[in-house]
Formats: sequence, structure tokens, C-alpha cells
Amino acid sequence: MVPYKHYSLLAIACLMWMAGCSSPYVENNMIEEIAPVVFWSVDKGTEGKFKISTLVPPLIQEKKRLLTKEVDLLKQGGKEFNLIYNRELKQGQLRMVLINEELAKKGDIEKLVNTILVDPDISMRVYLLIVRGNFDEYINNQLTKQENQDYFLYRMLKHYEDHNQGEMSIVNIHQFMKKLYSPLEDPILPVFQSDKNNFNYVGTAFFRKDKEVMFIQNVEDEIFQLLGNDHFLKVLAIPKLSVSLGRVRSDVRMKLSRDYSSLSLHVGLNGRIEEYQGEKEIQSEEQLQHVIQEIEGYLEEQTSDLLKRMQRLKVDPLEVGTHSLKPFSKEITEKQWLKYWGNMKINVDYDIKIQPLNNVERLM
Amino acid sequence: MKSLSLYNRTSTLGGIYFLLLVNRTQMHYFILIMPTFLVHSYMVWGIIVMGLLSQLNLMMLSKWFTSRYAAKGYQGFVQLFGKRTVQIFAILGFLILLPKISIITLGYVEMLHSFIYPSMNKNWLILMILLISLFVASHGMEKTLRFVVIAFLGGVWIVIMFIPFFFPPIANYRDLYPLIPTEWSEQSWRGLLFIWSALSGPVYLAFMVPWLSSNKKIMKYLVIGNMLSIMEYSFLFIASVLFYGSHYLSKINFPLVYMGSYIQTGGLERIDYILISFHMFTYVFDISILLLCFYGAGRIFMRKMNEQTTRIGLLSSWFVILISIIFMNHWLWQTVPGQKMLLNIQIWIGAFLYLLVPTILFTAVKRKESM
Repeated sequence: MVPYKHYSLLAIACLMWMAGCSSPYVENNMIEEIAPVVFWSVDKGTEGKFKISTLVPPLIQEKKRLLTKEVDLLKQGGKEFNLIYNRELKQGQLRMVLINEELAKKGDIEKLVNTILVDPDISMRVYLLIVRGNFDEYINNQLTKQENQDYFLYRMLKHYEDHNQGEMSIVNIHQFMKKLYSPLEDPILPVFQSDKNNFNYVGTAFFRKDKEVMFIQNVEDEIFQLLGNDHFLKVLAIPKLSVSLGRVRSDVRMKLSRDYSSLSLHVGLNGRIEEYQGEKEIQSEEQLQHVIQEIEGYLEEQTSDLLKRMQRLKVDPLEVGTHSLKPFSKEITEKQWLKYWGNMKINVDYDIKIQPLNNVERLM
Repeated sequence: MKSLSLYNRTSTLGGIYFLLLVNRTQMHYFILIMPTFLVHSYMVWGIIVMGLLSQLNLMMLSKWFTSRYAAKGYQGFVQLFGKRTVQIFAILGFLILLPKISIITLGYVEMLHSFIYPSMNKNWLILMILLISLFVASHGMEKTLRFVVIAFLGGVWIVIMFIPFFFPPIANYRDLYPLIPTEWSEQSWRGLLFIWSALSGPVYLAFMVPWLSSNKKIMKYLVIGNMLSIMEYSFLFIASVLFYGSHYLSKINFPLVYMGSYIQTGGLERIDYILISFHMFTYVFDISILLLCFYGAGRIFMRKMNEQTTRIGLLSSWFVILISIIFMNHWLWQTVPGQKMLLNIQIWIGAFLYLLVPTILFTAVKRKESM
């Protein structure tokens, strides 16, 4: 009896097939014929258009080239690339979207990000980067120097993302969107500087809604990594005091006053001195304490300045606003929070505990 | 014409089957969209309250399971209500099952379509899934009920994959605040209704008692099965709140599936494909059971209870479902208001059934016994 059942199922399937329904599959994913691209780079074009570019073919041993198109819509770009290139471009392996800083400062990158987000082929783990300068020029120049440079860039981002080791702010689409929609947090994105020969991380951009309003770099960026993003820094170099701290872990405690008029920010830092080029004899306990106090003072000053700028521009990438959430009361609105945030008094207090130079000399 | 004995039984299934059946019938399409309906973290209390009410309901049902009428199947119903009423009930059931099967199929197909086969014609997906269900159902009621073991083993481990979402940096525990409802709107009532409706799956077990054992100890299994569902519901819901935060969560259509696609391991990416495929076991089981119920209801109101079940009968009920789904998809599901309407219909029907069926059966048995 069982085979009979199978026949009937088969018959129905064949019938439907022959009835002339359109073929179920319309996508051709034959691996030899497609080019799964690794990145999109989006730049400002002429007359309000986008200039988008990508590198093909990504991983195959074949002469590589950079495709660039000026288009009105992002998706149009992908389509037009197919027409000028012999392989079909697929977005399934897309790993990075690089957005030019001018676009980010103009705002409206939410629409760009949404376009990427709604594509079912693309994972939510795609990294978002802000680029200063001309990325196309860089990647074009690298074609001859370094093979698969686009893939290596992705590996680099992934390397620093995996364990949050505080070198860079790495952000993927999901994290960006979550913060964008949350009323008490503001999104951040990493900024990379690019010219003909170099492509390097410079700092972090802060966004109000989807518009870049603030940029930090160097010590400020390091402080930001300690306060908000990673809570760890491999090296905290302070050239002004001729000292480098290594393996710094931070323990941040924020306390908002009941009426949101003041914030006390307590940062405990744990690390060790790994380099000292200054004049003081840090082998002695007394002098060491002095250096530590200097570092504390310096960081407190820098942090206060950083926070003041954030307040002035009304951005809250440190998610201070989420500290106003309480288990048993209603959350405050974004408008209310920004009003409080702009006028808040902030007390910054650093507490640094460090090991002295090891292995060099004992503490007296 | 050769006959097909769909409703024969050789042995009765033990108590543990009750546990699996209750759990799996509560874990199909609705769990996929539940977080979007609940949104705020405090709705987890809603899940718990509704779950406890559902326990009471299941206790009432267990009275029915252990009554002497239930074990007799159709004859038992006739003894309780009379032939005429049973026929009316069957017609009602027929009309209720059709949208239920259609809507959960459309929902599941929509997910398949948007994640795995975005450029495929949806009718193909509908056809393929229904063919699989037909295949399972054609093995008869007993084997289909036994299929629940596969459905359970295929589906229950998926929850484990969501454990990483409870740890930082993905999770931000301040997203859970506030913990108690600070405002209560129409949306919250709808959330509660949705949970109740999602828990309504076990109602259909009331009509499958002849294949299940009806000894006195099944209450324990019903309660554990329901508890398991509550735990899965709240676990998945809290995970999704931690991952998205309430504000972003309300904008996502299939939150849990997107979370699946966020999971990344060294060797495999896009694990959501695997999760969706395994979730299909639960789904196919559900549809096959409902398909057999559907055919059974058809037989009752066409007064063919005393004749043998036929292949043509099963196939034609299957065709009715297929055509209904394709038309619903064509006319209603593809527009936003139509989809909302269908979903609302399903939510209300499910909720009412879960309220009415156990109560009616419970009172009917009580009345008959006192007479």
C-alpha cells in the first residue's frame, strides 16, 4: 500500500509541474559564474547621486578591477555592475559597507543602512565604516601591491571585534540600528582615513539620529574605549606625561542624581606602567604616587572636556541615559533626557591602581 | 477503490506523549512573531499569568481526557450531545480548522520566503510544505501522533542556540527596565490575547483521546508540557528584548529568525537556515494533525462515519486546504490590511476555542455524570 501512496504524491507533483507553473528557482548561484563581493563603498556623487564602487572578483585568481558607478539608488548600482561585468555580483558575502564621511555628515544614512538591512541575502553582521578621503583610490592602488586587500580588511575588523580589545570601535549594522532606534542611546561608527597609500583607523564618530555630529581621536578615543565601548585598552599612551600604561581594564560606575541635575562618574583603572620616559624616580613609592596623581588629573581633565563637548552637541554615545531606567518607574522620553543631559553637572573621578615597572627594579 | 485506514489504532500512546503533544502544538508559527506583539519586557509577566491560566484550562481538559466518553471517540460525543449537535459542531470545526491551517501555513511560508527563498513563487513553497504534511498524514492518525517525538526532538534544541543572547556585549540588561507595567494600553491587552491564543494548541487533543491513553495520571504530563512551553516562550522573549531593546523590537517582523541569522560560529554562518529547517518538523506535525482533524470533521458532517476512510477523501480535503491557502494568499495575505485581518481572525478564534472547548466538554461530562 505504501508505494501506491508515493505514486499519488509523485503524480500530483508532476501534474503541477506540467501545468506550466513558472520554474520555482529564478536565482542562479553557480559558483563559477558569480562574484560574491566583500564590500560596497558609497560616496557622494555629482548632483545628489551616489557613487558606489566594489572590487571584483573577490577571491578568484583572475585579474581584479574596481567597478564604480554613479547612481540615484544604491540597488541600481548593483544592477548596473552586472551589466558591465561578465559575472553576476551577489551580496550574500557582503562584509563591509564603507560610507564616505561627507554623506554621514549630511545625515540620512539610515536610508542607506535600511536598504542593506532589508536584503535577505545580507547578514546583520555587516560592518559599517566611515571613510575620510578617497577609498576608491586606495583600493585601486592596492590592486597591484597586495592581493585580496578587501578580504584582509574584513579580517582585520573581525579580529578586533571578536574580543573587544579596545583598539577600535567596530560596529555592525545591528548594533547601529539598535542604538538608532533606542531613545536613550546614540549610535557610533569607526572613522578610517584613506588616501592613495594608506587606510588607517583614526577615531570614532558620534551620531545624533543618523547624522554625524562629533568626531574624537587619539586620547579622547582611548578614553571613550575605556568608558563605554570596550572597557579595555591594550596600551594607553600619554605622551604629555611621558608614560604608557598597558593592559588597562576599567570599571565604570555612573550615578545619576534623582532629579537628573548631576552625574558622578567614577572610573577605576587597573593596569601597569609599561613605559616611562619622564624625569621622576618611579621606583620609589612616593614618586610613583605622584605620577599616578598626575595621570589621574590629566585623565579627569580630558574626560570632563570630552563629556562637555558631548553635552553641548547633545549626543550620548556613552549610554548615560540608560542609567535613568529604573525597575519600577516609567522611562523618560528622548526629549526630556536630552534636556537634562545638556545641563547636567558632571563629576569625574579617576582611581588608578597600577603595578610599577616589573622586572626592572623592585620597589624601595 | 482501495481503502485507507487512517483512523485505526493498534495501541494507545502513553502519558509522555501528552507532554510532547501539548508542548509542540503550542510552539508553531505564533512563537515566531510573539516578541513583536509583546514588545515590552514586563509582558513576560503576561506570559506567566496566561500560562498559569492555561494550566487551569488543561486541568479541565484532563477531566475530559479521563472521562469514559472521551475514550469512545465519535460515539462518546454522540452520547454526550446527540447526533445533530455533533454534526453542527463538526461543521463549525471544519470552518474553524480551514483558516487555522491556512494562516499558520501562510505565516510559515512567509518566513521561508523572506529568509531562504526570497525570489521563489510562494505557491511552490505552499505546495511543497502541504505535500510533506500530506505524506505524514497519509500514514494515519496513530503514526502521525507518534511523529510528535521527531517534531519535539527536532525543535526543542533550537532554544539552546539562543543562550548567547543573554550575555554581554550582545545583551544589555538595562533594556529590561522597567520591570513592571508602567502604562497599560490596548496593545497590552492584545498581547495577552495573543499569548492565550498561542497557548491554545492543545484544544485539538480533545478529539484525539481514543489514540491516547486515558489513565488517571495524565494531568501531570499536561502540566509539565504546558510549563515547558511557558519556559520556552519567556526565554525566547527575554532573549529578543535583550537583543533588540523594546523600541527596535516593535519594528521587526520575525525577530527570532533574525536573531538566528545573527549567530555566527567559526565554521558556519547563517545558522538561521538550519534553525528554520528544523523548526519545520514542528510545523509539519501540526499541519498533519490538523489535516486529519479536518478530514475527520468532514466525514462527520457528510455522515460517512460508518464507511471506510478513502484516499480520495483525504486527498480532496487536502485540495480544499491547498486551494483555500492559495486563494487567501492571493486575495488577502499579500496586502497589509488583509494580513492583519487574517492574523486577528486567527488570534480571536484560537483564544475563544481555548476558552470554550474545555468548558463545554467539562460541563457536559459533569452534567451527564450527575444525571
